[in-house]
Amino acid sequence: MAESIKTQLSKLRDKVDLVLALAGNPNVGKSTIFNRLTGMGVITANYPGMTVDINMAVTEFEDHKIGIIDLPGTYALGAISEDQLVARRGVLQSTPDAVIFILDANNLARNLYMLLQFMDLGLPIVVALNMEDEAEKRGVHTDSGQLSELLGVPVVPTVATRGTGLDSLVETAVEVGLHREAYPVIPFAYAEDIEARVRELASFMEENLVAMPYGLSSRALGILLLEGDPEFAQLLSDGRVAPNVLSKVGELAAAIQNTHGAQAPLVISRERHGIAGFLQAEVQKQVEDMKVPLGERLWALTTSSRTGIPILLLVLGGLFAILFLGGGALSTLMDKLWNTYMAGPLTRAIFYVFGNNIFAGALKWGLVNGIEAALSVAIPYVVVFYLLLAVLEDTGYLNTVAFLTDRIMHRFGLHGRAVIPLITSAGCSVPAIMGTRVLSTRRERVIASTLIVLVPCSARTAVIIGGVSKLVGWGWALLLYGIVFLLVAATGMALNHFMPGESTGLVMEMFPVRTPSPVAVLKKTWARFKDFIIVATPIMLGGSFLLGLLYESGWIYKLSAPMAPVVQWWLGLPAVAGLALIFAFLRKELALQLALVLAAVSAGGSLLSFMNKGQIFTFALVNTIYIPCAATLAVLWKELGGKQALLISASTILLALVLGGLAHLIRLF
Amino acid sequence: MPSEKVEEYLEGIFKLECEEGKANVTRLAERMKVTAASASEMLKRLEKEKLVTHKGDRGHVLTARGEHMARTLVRRHRLSERFLTDVLGIGWDVAHEEACKFEHVLSPDVEKKLAEMLGNPSTCPHGFPIPDLDGKIAQTEIRRLSSFCASERGVIAEVDEEGPELLQYLSSLGLIPDARVEVKEIAPFNGPLLVKVGRSAQYALGREVASKIWMKQ
Repeated sequence: MAESIKTQLSKLRDKVDLVLALAGNPNVGKSTIFNRLTGMGVITANYPGMTVDINMAVTEFEDHKIGIIDLPGTYALGAISEDQLVARRGVLQSTPDAVIFILDANNLARNLYMLLQFMDLGLPIVVALNMEDEAEKRGVHTDSGQLSELLGVPVVPTVATRGTGLDSLVETAVEVGLHREAYPVIPFAYAEDIEARVRELASFMEENLVAMPYGLSSRALGILLLEGDPEFAQLLSDGRVAPNVLSKVGELAAAIQNTHGAQAPLVISRERHGIAGFLQAEVQKQVEDMKVPLGERLWALTTSSRTGIPILLLVLGGLFAILFLGGGALSTLMDKLWNTYMAGPLTRAIFYVFGNNIFAGALKWGLVNGIEAALSVAIPYVVVFYLLLAVLEDTGYLNTVAFLTDRIMHRFGLHGRAVIPLITSAGCSVPAIMGTRVLSTRRERVIASTLIVLVPCSARTAVIIGGVSKLVGWGWALLLYGIVFLLVAATGMALNHFMPGESTGLVMEMFPVRTPSPVAVLKKTWARFKDFIIVATPIMLGGSFLLGLLYESGWIYKLSAPMAPVVQWWLGLPAVAGLALIFAFLRKELALQLALVLAAVSAGGSLLSFMNKGQIFTFALVNTIYIPCAATLAVLWKELGGKQALLISASTILLALVLGGLAHLIRLF
Repeated sequence: MPSEKVEEYLEGIFKLECEEGKANVTRLAERMKVTAASASEMLKRLEKEKLVTHKGDRGHVLTARGEHMARTLVRRHRLSERFLTDVLGIGWDVAHEEACKFEHVLSPDVEKKLAEMLGNPSTCPHGFPIPDLDGKIAQTEIRRLSSFCASERGVIAEVDEEGPELLQYLSSLGLIPDARVEVKEIAPFNGPLLVKVGRSAQYALGREVASKIWMKQ
């Protein structure tokens, strides 16, 4: 679980000799460097009320214990979005002994922009010039020595994916951290009139302020204020602490606007881009005009207007084929192994220790059947899905998907980036709902979360495949998917129509194709799977235990009586099947397992002797649509608040009853 | 005197012609926030009054008279905006809406006096050129990035966005005036644009965002 950043930072400080912060744009290899420098034992922390996390870890280098803080990747160090705010607060509050700033050599000017912001803040900096090998392949040579000279800070060339240069990087960072006075950072000067106004503001603040927030220099604070930074403006809005500072800022910002004919923040940003562009032009030379590599030319086909969509359909088709075939095979295998080797001895052990009573029976349910559920659903489907997702992510293809589907997503009031959590939701709704954090407005997050709840996750897929596809026919399973797909589309359009507000636009960086590193893919898959296990396992085992208790004590039949009208009359299912649906709230795949048990007990045979084909279809349909599982409800509650979580749940129950009833009606005729 | 509605349509067609090279019924309806049926009905009426003509695949085009009227309106609109922001101190964001009402009540004399009082400004507060008395637009033509085709290039003239969040986000990505932009690809179904900014950075820009970026050659 994420903890408060402030507490974690001070804990980290106490443990180590030096603190290094990793900063840079998104996708410059920052996480790769962090993972290479640190082992296990990563702590994730966040600010109260914010969803962007910071990772920290302790590592050793020579004789030093070093704390490493991985700041969120951003394009600038402002306060206009949560990730930028977290990155800036993180770096200011952790007061690192050195900041390792990672530059992508392929995109130097854009990357230098934020480095200049760091230099304005006066932080001690070591630059990692990463992915130089890729730039060289494109015929672009970077003179890292000259870059270091121009910037006045050490520059270490690295290839993070292979670990090249990382030792030297840490060594340099430790050296800078230990001898900060020997490595002063001198910010670049902007246009003379801007500097004059910054100086005027700085000396005004030096006279009128007791201390600068976060111990910043008065120039650094002056620039932030002239850039219209809302966080610092807020800090200085108290007239008793900072008399007239903000009106002075307004006056000087207006003066800049008058001189340059554009708003002050834009003028300063333009200046910074100017310096960044100059630096790039000085240190990077196009050595030769290389032909675009074959890989990149093929990659261009994925976004092309003619071939993009067919490739997308192929990829998604392949993805689900691997998920269903591969996951299915793995699921059968796991099931077999568990039932052949473990289930028997474990059951005997339970009855041997606790005797033959209701508790032991329930425990057997909790452990033997609970673990079986975990093995036959969680591992095969969820792991395979996460693995595929990590590959798609690390090649950069997910961004292509977002690009291609932006138009469709707009019909739902979303934009292209929402497609990423929506795809994730085919694995599990929990990480998918957490993934909606990439969306900028609450409206978008509510719409996306609602759609995610409706998309069949791997547990529901297990029920559809194991129940409908196996016993009723694959055509019916496809029909069920078709119904759900239409439902998702209709819900999206309806929400877009009825919810106030508009969709925001898509602005997203697109990367050239990258070969994913197997280590990074496996680490990512493992981290996600671990989170899933932590949330899901207790519910899975506890739920199975509770269910076992009700079953062994015979209460399960008493409980089913009051639901009979809805289940029997309206949905046309056996009354006890309603119980299976209720318990599936714990874990959706329990619906099928429980139905199998109920079939064995009440009808003395297979599922088909308990429910006919039509009933199985209705059963799976209702199970797919009604109420998200307990873990999903919990995460909805956490992310969107109780009211929204309950509203979404209630609507899905209603939808499931309507559609289930319709399926029953159609069956009657 | 043509009605206010006619004037609004003339202005709409004029802007579509400037931005996209042609005005068809669908885009006009979108712009005027009406159904395609009412837009097409209005076009017929304008055709009858000889303010527009139909030119095959170029769609509806303003006649000389129609264009002159449209340019006068654009001039009055942008002058009104200047008056509202510079003299009355009304914000940029509100000025446009208010000016939509103003432009229809100005007589040629008032328009002339207003321009004199404001010192004959050349641009509106949003940075768009104000046509002169003959309706001529001095500056080089600017178009929305959203109207670009694949492999077209240009330089950003202006980012027409008041919200600081998007404006600063775009500027941190290097999408600022004078930045060189090349449209590499356009997603199917009139989707987002894949643009290259500077030497190597590539971004996907949604239609709404791209329509806020004004380009010059």
